Amino acid sequence: MTALVDTPAEIEPPALKRSKKSGGGLGRYILVRFLLIIPTIFILVTLVFFLMRVTGDPITAALGGKLPPDQLAAKIHDAGYDRPIFVQYFEYLGQIFTGNFGSTLDNQPITQVLLTYGSATLELAFFALIVALLIGIPLGMVAAKFRDKWPDAVLRVFAILGYATPVFFAGLLLKLVFAVWLGWFPVAGRANTDNALALQQLGSPTGIYFLDALRSGNMAALGDVLQHAALPAIALGLLTGGVFLRLVRTNVIGTLGRDYVEAGRSRGVSEFRLVTKHAYKPALIPIITVMGLQIAMLLGGAVLTETTFEWKGLGFQLAQYLGSRDFVAVQGIVALLAVLVAVTNFIVDVIAALIDPRVRY
Amino acid sequence: MSKNTTKLRYLAAFAGVSALALTACTGPAGNTSNTSGGASGGSFTIGTTDKVVALDPAGSYDNGSLFMETQVYPFLVNIKPQGNEIEPDLAESASFTKPTEYTVKLRPNLKFVNGHTLDSKDVKFSFDRILKINDENGPASLLTNLASIATPDANTVVFTLKQPNDQTFPGVLTSSAGPIVDDEVFPADKLMTDEDIAKAHPFAGAYDVTSYTKNQLVSLKANPGYVGLVEKAKTDVVNVQYYANSNNLKLDMQTNKIDVAWRSLSATDIGDLKTKDNVKVHTGPGGELRYIVFNFNTMPFGSKTAEADPKKALAVRQAMADLVDRQAISDSVYKGTYTPVYSPVASGLPGATEPLKSLYGDGNGAPSLDKAKQRFADAGITGPVTVNLQYNPDHYGPGSGDEYAKVKDQLEKSGLFKVNLQSTEWTQYSKDRNKDLYPVYQLGWFPDYSDADNYLTPFFVKDNFLHNHYDNAEVQKLIAEQQGTNDKAKRADLIGQIQEMEAKDLSTLPLLQGNQIAISGNNVDGVDTTLDAAFKFRLAVVSKK
Repeated sequence: MTALVDTPAEIEPPALKRSKKSGGGLGRYILVRFLLIIPTIFILVTLVFFLMRVTGDPITAALGGKLPPDQLAAKIHDAGYDRPIFVQYFEYLGQIFTGNFGSTLDNQPITQVLLTYGSATLELAFFALIVALLIGIPLGMVAAKFRDKWPDAVLRVFAILGYATPVFFAGLLLKLVFAVWLGWFPVAGRANTDNALALQQLGSPTGIYFLDALRSGNMAALGDVLQHAALPAIALGLLTGGVFLRLVRTNVIGTLGRDYVEAGRSRGVSEFRLVTKHAYKPALIPIITVMGLQIAMLLGGAVLTETTFEWKGLGFQLAQYLGSRDFVAVQGIVALLAVLVAVTNFIVDVIAALIDPRVRY
Repeated sequence: MSKNTTKLRYLAAFAGVSALALTACTGPAGNTSNTSGGASGGSFTIGTTDKVVALDPAGSYDNGSLFMETQVYPFLVNIKPQGNEIEPDLAESASFTKPTEYTVKLRPNLKFVNGHTLDSKDVKFSFDRILKINDENGPASLLTNLASIATPDANTVVFTLKQPNDQTFPGVLTSSAGPIVDDEVFPADKLMTDEDIAKAHPFAGAYDVTSYTKNQLVSLKANPGYVGLVEKAKTDVVNVQYYANSNNLKLDMQTNKIDVAWRSLSATDIGDLKTKDNVKVHTGPGGELRYIVFNFNTMPFGSKTAEADPKKALAVRQAMADLVDRQAISDSVYKGTYTPVYSPVASGLPGATEPLKSLYGDGNGAPSLDKAKQRFADAGITGPVTVNLQYNPDHYGPGSGDEYAKVKDQLEKSGLFKVNLQSTEWTQYSKDRNKDLYPVYQLGWFPDYSDADNYLTPFFVKDNFLHNHYDNAEVQKLIAEQQGTNDKAKRADLIGQIQEMEAKDLSTLPLLQGNQIAISGNNVDGVDTTLDAAFKFRLAVVSKK
């Protein structure tokens, strides 16, 4: 992965042929990466399990103080939480192995929670990624073009602010300015009441309002969905957009100094064309690699963004379950998110290996 | 890359940016719901932060669930809007026919929305299953005085009670234990999921559920077959929008994206909304109490302390009652959303009096340092008394911290008390308070039903839920007597006597009573009608112009 530093990365010219160093080939690389998912998930699930149990058993967490001690003890016993912790741990591992991540306190399987709310989070993450790319790539190129001049300085500060500002704070600020003061965007939610009801009542809805609105052919609903998505997507997208901006800037500066760019410059190609046509393409490759890590960041940020904007996705639900002390649900969702992040990173690694000549395998 | 591909990419990027920009220009972000009145009765959207625990009455005993149950399920008896007496609702008549028998005659030809017949079997089924399931989140505890239910015919239900003439029983029928459910839909021995309930339409209240996404968005449609205390739903379609964050509820109300906001906005938000021209703040009597509990064993000079002295312990309680400035807390912390209360019974209920007003402070509700000093002098207390005062920051709203900081300040300013203020999270708090760990501590109360007894029995009988070792045989005798007294005036007198005795004993120190507060747009009618002594928000009486 490319480090997020301002010194230009060593970028091979695009035409450079990949040289095999270890001799294993792409197949072996993919196999190793795939096998690495297993210990990653194992460690994450183990950590989540034991960290959650540090606070006690889930029954006491949820019902402590509500039930008399004898009834509480009976429920703990029935649920098996009075058994040795390692017995419970291995049982939990066994359940996960069969795809059973447990159930919430109101008896909803965690996998069902994921299906119900995951689509909203996926939609938000998608919009946020678009915002991040729309911010990061063009502004990164501008910053590189005006290296060490005032536009560059302004954009670098903007980038730092983007990823250093807590996402809930950015969200509140955006809400205050664009929803409350200017009234351009809604304060919260994924669609207004009528549209949300209409989209929910579609036959086999995907849960991704953007797609459902497109399917229904209701352009007013589509506009409403986009309007609701704008502020959360910007709040979350700024987080990643700042990272992309600095990454693109660094890499474009690196490629602008390469021989093939100098050659173009000596032949009279304009600076604008050099940046937008010749230098930016190789500079974009590291973004693919970084995107894998950003998925985890986006999912983490989604908890706060969804809570701030009442975007009822997985992150929002996670916060609700935490509030109601439903630790089984929290444990299940976190474990499931860990699996998702590990698998996404694997896919991104494979894509990066295919397109980035600097990746060795 | 070809030129065409490049152009296509620029075009796509431009389209993306334009789409976002256009969404900003598609007009204000208000609600686009069809709110035209007409024959259909129009629609409105209400926002709330009160979540539904369960739509199944056997598994819920909370404000959020009762709000939804009030709209969709029928109740045998109820308090009509702006009334304060319990009257037949689904019933044609309801009264004690023997000291231990409460007989209800149902209205004829009742039906659920799904077409099933609603008769005495459904009524018996509804209460029996609450007791049988006995869910930890359910209202079974409200039915402890119910011995059995008989159904002599399809329209008659006879409740046999363990204690005779229980005047609180009709109140129980209006509470979370009271919704009548369809015996052809609900299982007798286990809870039904909200989604399955919504699909089966086992409703006979003013509204039917047409779309149900739990704690997100629920759509209700007026039930054409409804009969009951509210003549007819004034609005055809009501959408209930749930919020996790009260600030979002406030902002959506402020921007008129929703038409009504009901529970729970902070005092600051309500104060802010009062300054807006496009919304109205409605206030009605509320039943919620905030009070301080004294543990008679562990409070200063309590019976299990090294300096045990009942006279001095009473003087400490009385001096605290002399020194607390309820109005100052109401104004500065709660901006008037909670108001001073001078009785263990919420004001406005039949039988409620204000004995603490004349007994303590300046005799008019304000504090009095001289009186407090005199109490200490009379009891022989010399130096400042140290009070370990506990409060809870996460169960009774965000104002608790400021409220108890104010109490500490008021007590310490007198020079008579040194207050160690501590807070504990609710899960631990609710356990610790029962283990005598808190000598003096905060609690709050929201009534199960509108009756003065609901503020007396749970607190002042032996082995009450406070577990504070207060034991007054005379009070217990009077509580039992008022429960079995049919004569309303005589019962009110007994309730008055109990309040007087409690004001003298000070097992608890009542501080504040919460108002019911709702916000609406200027074009909404009927909100004031439902903010009454029933403490129930009835959507059926609300409409939008």
